[in-house]
Amino acid sequence: MSSPAPLLSARDVVKRYGAMTALAGVSLDIAPGEFFGLLGPNGAGKSTFMSLVAGLRHIDGGTLTVDGEGVDAGSDRAQHALGLVPQHVALYLDLSAETNLRIFGELHGLKGAALAERVTSALDAVQLSDRRADPVKNFSGGMQRRLNLAAALLHRPKLLLCDEPTVGVDPQSRNAIFDLLQQMNREGLTVIYSTHYMEEATRLCTRIGIIDHGKILAMGSIDELLAQLPFEEEIRFPAGAATAGLAAELGGQGELTTVDGTHRFRPRAGYPLSAFFGVTERLGLAPRLFASQRPTLEALFLQLTGRNLREI
Amino acid sequence: MNSILVLVKKDFAIVRHNRTVLVISFVIPFMLIYLFGQIFGVNQKDHGPSGIPIGVVNQSTDPAAQTLVDALRAEPAFRVVATAKPDDAKSAPLREEDLNARIRANEFRFALVIPADVVRTDKIGLHLKIYSNPRNEIETQLVNGILEKTIFSNVPELLGASLEARARSFLGDPSLDRFDSDIADSVARAFGGDPAEIKRRMQDGHFGIGRAAWRPKDDGGAPAKMDDILDKVFRIDKVQVVGADVRSPQATLLVGGWAMQFLLFAVAGSAAGLFRERDQGLFQRLLSSGVRRSDILWSKFIYGICFGLVQLIVLFFAGHVMYGIEIGAQLPHLILVAVFAAAACTAFGMLIASVAKSPEAAQGLSTFIILLMSAIGGAWFPVSLMPVFMQQFSKLTLVYWAMEGFSQVLWSHATLGELLPTLGWLTLITGLVLAVAMWRFRRGRIFE
Repeated sequence: MSSPAPLLSARDVVKRYGAMTALAGVSLDIAPGEFFGLLGPNGAGKSTFMSLVAGLRHIDGGTLTVDGEGVDAGSDRAQHALGLVPQHVALYLDLSAETNLRIFGELHGLKGAALAERVTSALDAVQLSDRRADPVKNFSGGMQRRLNLAAALLHRPKLLLCDEPTVGVDPQSRNAIFDLLQQMNREGLTVIYSTHYMEEATRLCTRIGIIDHGKILAMGSIDELLAQLPFEEEIRFPAGAATAGLAAELGGQGELTTVDGTHRFRPRAGYPLSAFFGVTERLGLAPRLFASQRPTLEALFLQLTGRNLREI
Repeated sequence: MNSILVLVKKDFAIVRHNRTVLVISFVIPFMLIYLFGQIFGVNQKDHGPSGIPIGVVNQSTDPAAQTLVDALRAEPAFRVVATAKPDDAKSAPLREEDLNARIRANEFRFALVIPADVVRTDKIGLHLKIYSNPRNEIETQLVNGILEKTIFSNVPELLGASLEARARSFLGDPSLDRFDSDIADSVARAFGGDPAEIKRRMQDGHFGIGRAAWRPKDDGGAPAKMDDILDKVFRIDKVQVVGADVRSPQATLLVGGWAMQFLLFAVAGSAAGLFRERDQGLFQRLLSSGVRRSDILWSKFIYGICFGLVQLIVLFFAGHVMYGIEIGAQLPHLILVAVFAAAACTAFGMLIASVAKSPEAAQGLSTFIILLMSAIGGAWFPVSLMPVFMQQFSKLTLVYWAMEGFSQVLWSHATLGELLPTLGWLTLITGLVLAVAMWRFRRGRIFE
């Protein structure tokens, strides 16, 4: 059975700003119903890719299609198939929540009873029905972010582009946004979610592309990505005089890094954990000092780029 | 103390990098000081207005009348228009019956008619006629002052001719000739000189009245006691061609300039709003909703016109309520001019937004241009007070043409046909400014 036609298809997409290349040949396909994460540090090219998909900028090379229609700035053929949640709170702050949604709904061609019904259901979805008449400037940051999301969903797009939609959002509102996105995704909405928060990508996305310096470095499901790591476990223990001997003995048995006063030991392939704990027992180190966990996407990013996501 | 010095240093460091503050603090005052200096002739030999067009119709054959015309030509404040085609000295002389139309068409706002009966025979004295469109109080007072000074400086000869003519009509030619001969002989005997030459000069009107009666004050004005005499001797018919029936002339003349300035500042403020929308990511949302860049720009243009129209009409109605400016019958034409003026102002605001790189830069640039344009365009003082070369720049400003339009409607009660050239200029300015703004927006990154 053949796989469905991709909702979004990018082939060797290039974007330059003067001498700086923001995207250096990005290729990816996103199937209908996917929750795709674009994970990378600031300046990696995530927002540029999103803006190209949204038709906000011209593509300098390659091709980009959404729902079978070519995308480029100035062409609006593909744009009704997508909704954009910008990084900023892109709302008219002096106007009420309802008026904002009505404006964006009308721009998508909605009117009359259909518009009223969509506005009401969007406000319900983001739990802002009771504040519908209040000016947006009186909302908390989290409420504004939720309304920002609602405005992109009014016309029921096939593809939702979320460009770091939770920047500066409190945990409660963040969870509300995540829940809504996951619910919409379950109902069939395809989502591209750009973030530099590994935890968000891990929690939400069924497939992730790791991007840096305008290139996709790795792409796949979490399991597929983590399988690219040469180790399956990561053992963490405190750095200090007590563990200095252990750290010295681990050289050559895997990768040892130190972050925030904690050693992270990633054993090389074939190095048995029993050997590791044999050494700790010999050195008289208490087992409670050690925590073993599955490696994260951050480890993969470190493996791919030599840098930590959080350090950038 | 150290903290204070560090903070002061910090403020200087910030202001050094803020071009807006530098422009507002130094460049704008410099430009305005220069402009005012030019207008008021600071450090200039020939200060004062120059080149104010004035129509002159000389219907008299008296040589002294021609002397008066020559004196007007020599007056630097005036540019005498004495022929039907102002630039062609050989074309037909200007006629009195053409003056009304030409003044209404604003070719000149003042005209002096020296009638055939300038030298009156019914009594001793002179008869002159002044046509005017006193649509600017300052300009009108200034022109009247210079005109009277020029006339009074040259009247002795005309007055002498008047005396001679009156005597001739009273005594008859032979008696007057005998009288003149006797006087000339007596003068020659008492003071010396050729009696024939003295008689010829007397018959030309040279009685030395100027030396006897005319003692100009230091400022060139007539002495107070002279005023009564001059009032009795001169009959100057004044014909106000335009605005004679306007109920509240001063307010009517002022309101256009002020309204334009308020509108320009409002429009410049909304230009800065474009930057706010960009920074909030609203353009991203709009463009991703299928809205085109040109849709956004045209919507701003149309909104600007509507807002400007409402603002202008409200201001004029405020003038009506507070100062009695008459709007009623002129409302359709007033709305028409307001639409064109608002369009020009909006285009200007969009140009500012298209060339500025930040809201602060837009604010500084717009303040600078608005003040400059208001000064040059005539919102603060009459254009005719400026040096001739600067008057050419006035006509490049939208303030000049908008004020011209408002003045035509409220002051001259112009017809649609008379308004068309002004509306044409406003349209041209709007088109050019908007084209440059659109071109700049296409090249710029305000939508990215």
